[in-house]
This record gives sequence, C-alpha cells and structure tokens, in this order.
Amino acid sequence: MAGVQTSAEKWTNRTAIAAVFVALIIMLTPIYWIAATAFKPRNLATTIPPTVVYEPTVAPFVKLFTKRSQLREQPTQEEYDNAPWWEQMVFDGGEKVVRNRKSGEVRSSGYGDRFKNSLIVSVISTILAVGMGTLTAYGFSRFKVAGEDDWLFFILSTRMLPPVVVAIPMFLMYRVVGLNDTHMGLIILYTAFNLSFAVWIMKGFIDEIPREYEEAALVDGYTRIQAFFKVVLPEALTGMAATAVFCFITAWNEYAFALIMTNRNAQTAPPYIPSQVGSGLPDWTVIAAGTFLFLIPVAIFTFLLRNHLLRGMSFGAIRK
Amino acid sequence: MAQIDMRNVQKFFGANQVLKDLDLTIEDGEFVVMLGQSGGGKTTALRAIAGLETVTSGQILIDGAEMQHKKAADRDIAFVFQSFSLYPHMTVRENISFPLRAVRLGAADREKAVNEVAEVLQITEHLDNKPSALSGGDMQRVAIGRALVRRPKALLMDEPLGVLDAKLREQMRAEIKRLHIARGSTSVYVTHDQVEAMSLADRIVILHDGVLQQVGAPEEVYLHPTNAFVAKFVGSPVMNIQDAAFSGLNGSSAVHIGGAQSGFHFPEQLVNHVRNTGQPISLGVRPEAVLLSHEAQDGYLAAQTSNIEPLGSHDIVDVLVGETVLRARTESGFVAREGQQVFVNIDPAQAHFFDGASGLNLREAN
Repeated sequence: MAGVQTSAEKWTNRTAIAAVFVALIIMLTPIYWIAATAFKPRNLATTIPPTVVYEPTVAPFVKLFTKRSQLREQPTQEEYDNAPWWEQMVFDGGEKVVRNRKSGEVRSSGYGDRFKNSLIVSVISTILAVGMGTLTAYGFSRFKVAGEDDWLFFILSTRMLPPVVVAIPMFLMYRVVGLNDTHMGLIILYTAFNLSFAVWIMKGFIDEIPREYEEAALVDGYTRIQAFFKVVLPEALTGMAATAVFCFITAWNEYAFALIMTNRNAQTAPPYIPSQVGSGLPDWTVIAAGTFLFLIPVAIFTFLLRNHLLRGMSFGAIRK
Repeated sequence: MAQIDMRNVQKFFGANQVLKDLDLTIEDGEFVVMLGQSGGGKTTALRAIAGLETVTSGQILIDGAEMQHKKAADRDIAFVFQSFSLYPHMTVRENISFPLRAVRLGAADREKAVNEVAEVLQITEHLDNKPSALSGGDMQRVAIGRALVRRPKALLMDEPLGVLDAKLREQMRAEIKRLHIARGSTSVYVTHDQVEAMSLADRIVILHDGVLQQVGAPEEVYLHPTNAFVAKFVGSPVMNIQDAAFSGLNGSSAVHIGGAQSGFHFPEQLVNHVRNTGQPISLGVRPEAVLLSHEAQDGYLAAQTSNIEPLGSHDIVDVLVGETVLRARTESGFVAREGQQVFVNIDPAQAHFFDGASGLNLREAN
C-alpha cells in the first residue's frame, strides 16, 4: 500500500533511523576528533573536558612540515617581526624553525617525503596487484587448470599468516639482497600481500562475465589476448575498481612491514606519524595534522571510484 | 559461401561421449537445422564447426580444407549465440563493426558495411544506442547483423530465438528465412523446437545422444521418420506410438493396440514383414491419420472420447481404444463433449511399424 504506513511500521522506521544515527556518531567521532585536533592550538589539544569551541589555526600543519627545535631564549622583537606569518606561529608555540646555516633555507621535517613514499608504494603495488590478479583470475576462470581448487587455496593461504610472523625473516632476507629501505622492497611486499586477495575477488567478477562475449570475439577474428583486452577487460573494470580500492587501502595503511623494513629513504607515513610522539613532549596537534592529511588520499580515491564501487559491491548480482 | 563437411567426428567430455561418429555434409548455400533435445550433441557439433570446441577425432572441412586444428578466428565463420552476446560497453554500431575492425578494414568501408547491414535488418535508428536499450528482437537483429557484416563463409546459429517470446519468435523466424533467401549464405541452425526446424530448414539433421538419427528435407523427416525417436520428436501433437499385436488371415489382417478385442484392418502387404518377426512391434500413427466417424462404418471400431483440446483451426481429441489412448486430429467441434461414443479407424498408408527394441522404422527397412 503505497504511501500508507501503519503506526507500527512508522515506529520501526524511526527506530531504524535512530540506530543508523547512533552508529554514524560512533563511527564519525574519531574522524571529527582528528580533524578538530589538527586545527587546535597546542594548549587546547589535551584539555579535559575537551575544548569544542576554539579559533582554528594551521600551526600544526606548519609544524608538521618543518624541522623545529625548542627555543632556548625568546626571539627579539625584530626577529619576530621579520619572520613570515607561519614562522611566527612556531615562535608562538615556544619553538623555532630550523634553517640551513649557509643558505638560510627552512629544513623540512620529512613528512612530505614520507607521504610521497606512501603514494609511490601504494599506487604502484595496487596497479601491480590488480593487473596480475586480473590476469591470474582470468586464467583460473576460463581454462582448465590442473588442481585448480588446490592452487586457489594455496593462493589464499599466503594471506593466512599474520604479517608480523614473517616480518623478521623477511627483514633478514631483504637485508641480504639489499631490498630493505627501498621502494622496490615495499612494493614487492605489498603486491605479494594483495595479490591473493585480488585473484579471489577478480575471479568472482570474471566468472560473472559470460564466456560468449569472448567466444563471439574469437569467431569474429580476434585472438584470445585481443578478446581479453577488448571485451573482457571493459566488462571487468567495475570489479577492478573495487579490488583496487581494497588493495590501495591495505597498502596505504600498512604499518608493521613499513616499520621494520624501512627507516629513511623509503619510509611511508604510517610508521613516521607515531614516531613524532617520541620527540620531546608529544605534540598531539602535529600528529593529528599528519593523520588528517593521511586520510585524504583514500577518501579521494574511493570518492572517484564510487560509481564503480556501488556496482562492484553487488558482485555481479545485476545482469548487465 | 562454403560447403562444410564433418567426417567421423567424435567428441568426448571426459568419459562422456557427446558426438559419436558424426558424418554430415552441408552444401553450399544450404540452410541446415540441427534438431534434438538438450544434451543431444547439437550445440557441441555447431561449436565444433565454429572452432569453439576441439574435436577428439575426425575431420571438419570447410570448402575441402581441413579446419579441425585451426583457430576459430581463422575459419571465417560467424556465430550467433542464444544469449545474443552483444558487448554491453559498445554501441550497436561498434558491436556490428567489431568483426570488421579485426580484419583492419578502413573506417569508410566499415561505415558503409554497417549501414548496409543495418538497413537490411531495419536497425538503422538504433545504431548509436547501447544494446541494453534495445528490445529482445532488436538485440537479436544486431547479433545477426554482427554475424553477417563480414560476409562470412557460413553463418552458425545456436538457438538464436530461444529467449524470445512466442510471437516475436515467429516474426524473427520469418525474417531469418527471408534473410537466408536474400543472401544465400550457408547456414547451420541449432534448435530444439521442431516447428522452427520444419519452417526454416532445407534439410533437418536430427541428433540424439550424440548419434545422427536422420538427415532429410522437412517433409521427408515428417513422413518417413527412420525411427521412433524421430517420429516422436518431429510433429505436433506427438505421433501415437503403441505396442501392437497382430491377428487375422486371408489377405487381410488386423492390428490390435491397448489389448483391444478388435483391431484395425490393414492390407496384408503392409504388415507381412512385421507380423511374424517374433519381436515386439509398435504401431505409430500421427493424429491426422487417426480417422473418426459418428456412424459405424466398415473397419471402424467403437470407442469413447476423453479429453478434447480445442485449438481453433482444429481439435485434438483423445480416444480410448482398449486400455490405451489414441490422439486424433479432427475439424473443430467434431466431437462435442467428453465421453461421447465415436468410431475410430487408422489410415494404413500413413501408419508406421517400429521395432520395439531398436525403435527402427520397419517399413523403411523393407
């Protein structure tokens, strides 16, 4: 009965909406907290009860990207007035920006490099995992592979050990072959780690693509590899997008391997951000600023692929 | 256009043999329909011609050249799938020109060929739509267009009308026939619908359990089925096939069915070869060869009618003979109600005798 609701239905609806609302608050509060802390002055970051109303500042972001040291003595008025606005913010916090002695250039904190490392490693390993995973899944989906089920189980089983269990042996091996603290090292690790997942998800998607599409292309004069690229791949894009989001998030957030395998050149953001807790008194606003920026790429990536994701999540339930 | 030869083709799926010693020649320009139940091997045979399925042994020749080891792409054959198999990410135009791009035809020639085919199939207005925007009939027209645009040596169709509704199926059937007459392309068409087979085919190939049962023109298959399977499979309603017993002497003999006391009179020469074989024999007679009368006549047996199916142009009437039922085709309204008393006879000239064990048509064998 369209438009007509019994009072029982009305109450069921209201309860459901209330439940969703509560769940949303629980899930969004930490994100709000990080965002709020990232724009707080340092002295308000850890007040109890928490400060809700304050004048937002970008000082945490300035500090995040610069190398600083504690002020031993207050800057002179002239020094303070000549400094750019962002440097004044650091002075206000009782610290000073470290500059190169000769050129006077501001020395950066290293967060930017870590962020770039995260992007390089995550993007490349995601492309590799999804690409190789799609090809492997296609093979398993379309050809008779001897011991197919065993192979697929084996592929999945590579995901069964917790990463920390293999971290130490991996570290020792990496040191021998010179892969520790390199982009390549992390890319290989993350690709291997995501590959099993990509194979399984993509197999589901490719199984859903009718074989007749390729067969039609085959009789129409195309080779199998051409048929794969011209017919199967466009149909699998949705699944690849969904898989890519999962792989990207896994690689982007990975902490344990990054902590053990890298220290300077190839260190990614996740192990770097908490390392800032340890230098002097922890400046929670800087950590929050680092975390806040760290959240953005995943949000953008997921947002860009949202249409594919929505279709992809139904796992081919909709007949295309 | 081309001639297709299958010689001793065998196909196993594991231990399961789906094609057994298939020998078949499809002449240039011929429209051949492969008819059979699902699992009968007809689709496998078609896919083997196309190169989508390898054969375990035997040869497939197109215009005399051995093809069984060649890739599908090298056989110059087009295939229409039951599911249409149009690429959802391409427009109708891109779908139809897809085979032309494989042979790297220039854009202008491609455009010309696509427009020409679209015009023949009356889908010009849909060329820039995605397949998902089309009706089932138009999708099938596009699929046929994609198959024809390349002017392949042969056109293979695997139940192309299977997913369409009854009315559209009839319309598309007529279009396919028209198209075949216009283009004269060698066509192989797989279906389980005997009406489609009868109406489209120059010759019908009937497959059952991977074995070729009969090859012949539609009327030949209908009038002279080689065995009980073909007799039952072709024709609607299904041929009456009943266990038969024989009696009588002196130049005339009677054929009894359903344990009835009296039998139908048959001229001696029609039953001579079957009455004394000692084998179980079945009598087969199509509903139109079962004759009904309101008055008692010489040779007619008294019987009760049971179920009546009025079909407009004619009725199908079930008649109880002994303990069995004969289905008869009558003019509409001939039998007014169930349980009516009628007199029934069989046209001996249209009757068949089948070997009870092998199912072979014994008159044919004679």
